[in-house]
Amino acid sequence: MSMFGGFGRPQPSSAEKIAAAEAEMDLVTDMFNKLQQACMKKCIPKEYREGELNKGEGVCIDRCAAKFFDVQMKISELLQQEAQAKGAGGGGMGFGGM
Amino acid sequence: MDGLTAAEQREFESRMQKKQMKEFMGMFSHLVSHCFDACVDDFTTKSLIQRETGCVSRCVKKFMAGSERISQRFQEGQAQMMAQPPPGR
Repeated sequence: MSMFGGFGRPQPSSAEKIAAAEAEMDLVTDMFNKLQQACMKKCIPKEYREGELNKGEGVCIDRCAAKFFDVQMKISELLQQEAQAKGAGGGGMGFGGM
Repeated sequence: MDGLTAAEQREFESRMQKKQMKEFMGMFSHLVSHCFDACVDDFTTKSLIQRETGCVSRCVKKFMAGSERISQRFQEGQAQMMAQPPPGR
């Protein structure tokens, strides 16, 4: 993710570059898995009377995903505010520390 | 992925393949416990009865459908977040 790049590190080694690409993939995979687990749990009842997603379930998943992203954004915002309020002097200790 | 040489790309892809295999196994075991939990609660017989078998196949089918739909929304969400990064920075 480009937000982790650009610290002007003198050329990273191959291993580092691959590890970074891998970490990025892990992040995305993890996020997807979390989203999936959360929304399936909330939207799909445990009685499996039919195999298709019904309309309600589909719409629920759409909204659940949208809200999941919203919450993600919101929390990222709040944490940043917190960090700014706490250490106006402290040098950029972002979360996700890479 | 930006700025990987061909050799690095190859190494990266082989790792991704291993990871995918692991992901798949994880999904499989998750699905087994989920559908078992949802569908099987009658232990008066030794093998799955018709109702349970049907429930399991509907459970898997629905999981796939839901997974597909979530994956679409996820991709859209990702694209959107790339387009407008979180405030700050």
